[in-house]
Amino acid sequence: MRWMLLLFIGMSLPALADLEYSLKPRLIAQDTWLLEGSTDNFAKGNGGNIVNTAFIVTERGVVVIDTGPSKRYGEAMRQAIAATTDKPVIEVLLTHHHPDHVLGNQAFTDVPIAALAGTTQLLRQQGDAMAENMYRLVGDWMRGTEVILPTRTLEPGVHSFGNHDLRVLSLGGHTGADLAILDQKTGVLFAGDLVFYQRALTTPNSPGLAVWLADIATLEGLPWTLIVPGHGPLATDARPFEQMRDYLGWLDQLMRDGAANGSDMAEMIRSPIPERFATINLSRYELIRSVSHLFPRYERAQMTRVDSTPDN
Amino acid sequence: MNWQASCLLACWLPIAAHAAAIDPGKDPVPSVMWAFYHTQMLGDAPFVFDDRVKLLAPPFAEDARQVPLEIDARAFKGEVVKILAWAELNPLPKIVDFQPVSGVLPWLSIRIRIEQATPLRAAVLTRDGLWHVGSTLIDAAGGGCTAPSVVRTQPGWEEHIGEVLGGRYPRGEFSRLRLQVAHPMDNGMVSGIPEFFINHAELRDGNDQVLARLELFPAVSENPNLTFDIEGAGQTRLLLRDNSGNEFDAAIP
Ligand SMILES: [Zn+2]
Repeated sequence: MRWMLLLFIGMSLPALADLEYSLKPRLIAQDTWLLEGSTDNFAKGNGGNIVNTAFIVTERGVVVIDTGPSKRYGEAMRQAIAATTDKPVIEVLLTHHHPDHVLGNQAFTDVPIAALAGTTQLLRQQGDAMAENMYRLVGDWMRGTEVILPTRTLEPGVHSFGNHDLRVLSLGGHTGADLAILDQKTGVLFAGDLVFYQRALTTPNSPGLAVWLADIATLEGLPWTLIVPGHGPLATDARPFEQMRDYLGWLDQLMRDGAANGSDMAEMIRSPIPERFATINLSRYELIRSVSHLFPRYERAQMTRVDSTPDN
Repeated sequence: MNWQASCLLACWLPIAAHAAAIDPGKDPVPSVMWAFYHTQMLGDAPFVFDDRVKLLAPPFAEDARQVPLEIDARAFKGEVVKILAWAELNPLPKIVDFQPVSGVLPWLSIRIRIEQATPLRAAVLTRDGLWHVGSTLIDAAGGGCTAPSVVRTQPGWEEHIGEVLGGRYPRGEFSRLRLQVAHPMDNGMVSGIPEFFINHAELRDGNDQVLARLELFPAVSENPNLTFDIEGAGQTRLLLRDNSGNEFDAAIP
């Protein structure tokens, strides 16, 4: 119960000094550094560091891709960048508006923060509520964190940053406004949350799984050499795409079948999860969430007007 | 009502005494409110905590305004007089009073609002006069009862009140009946909007025989979802009434 939880937090609040992200950038391609998060859920033990962020050290300066879940993370990321290169940060690119990807923005207010127009709009609408939820989930790691909106609207196309030409795609299967970035110099594809790998995908803002499946096909068709998922390990082969297609297809069919035979949400969330998804972290948890997000659309498609109001 | 107030209230009430003959067993969920609700909902009548009454909800509320709840008392098929469900720590705890009269399984699926993490209860009265209480816990970030209406943000929503979407889904010996009614189900707790909710529903068969009666309460989500399992064939009618006296009627072939 919440009051017990609050009491518990009050008694066991760790000292602030314990809350350190200790981010260790890993070189994954020429000029390209990854800060890999866990595939767990938000928790007080991880400070929300469940996300992959990255930066590219171009000749002109550093391009940052996503800023992490908190002000504290953003600051730690900034320090990690400064420990890696003398070049200044010149731009932040946000893949989408979800809190684990954008709440580190406060550490980058001295540079342009770029995102799709739709991302800015969603962050304006939902940012405060999402930040509040993050406080609830990860607690004191969030101290001082506030929503900072993007300052530049990113148009799809090729954007040059020094010696790196970044091809920016405007997609939408995960949130309706999802940025994917292909570094044409290195072949690294920053897929954002369009790709979850070994971690169940999340659907709170998804316009529909069919849209998402189409995005996966688009991404797979790009000339990539290395995939950086929003969550989960890197891959040099197409396995993340295969897993996404398999999982999205299963989820879609499950809800289609469930709606067609009149199942309700409480039954849907108990559906068996295929053995082949056993390696995917948090699949039951995310199924419960996805049924809440998406099943209402599927069930309405299987119902008809039955009232006897005059305009029927 | 917050938990403190609820606890105070519970502590003020005399402990139920006259149900002492039957051992109710151990409460399967941690609750500071049981004695209070035993009095308020069950009038201190004899009861047992009974895991044959299955109350199935997600472990957490992803959307506290639309929490799926399945009440399964099929273990008592043919014996059920009524089923009462409530959310203990909701400011408006009552969910539904479901009376399966005939030709309807003692099973119901519904969606509800949750204001905070809370025990949920479904109490099933059997013909022998004993209440069988099923329980579960749900976690929630909260605010489902005080969140602004989604229905009311949709232009022209008034025009759609009472529209019913429905479907029948054959399932062997019975058929699954699903219904979704357009209604804001205002609970009186949001920005000065007074209570406005469907408080009565009735299912009838093709011969106008009553299959089930339901009293609904404002803990039921807006655009209420109701799912039943019906025995026998033929058309089923749903009659609805809200607390403003509006009546709606639907027929599911
Ligand atoms: Zn995301």
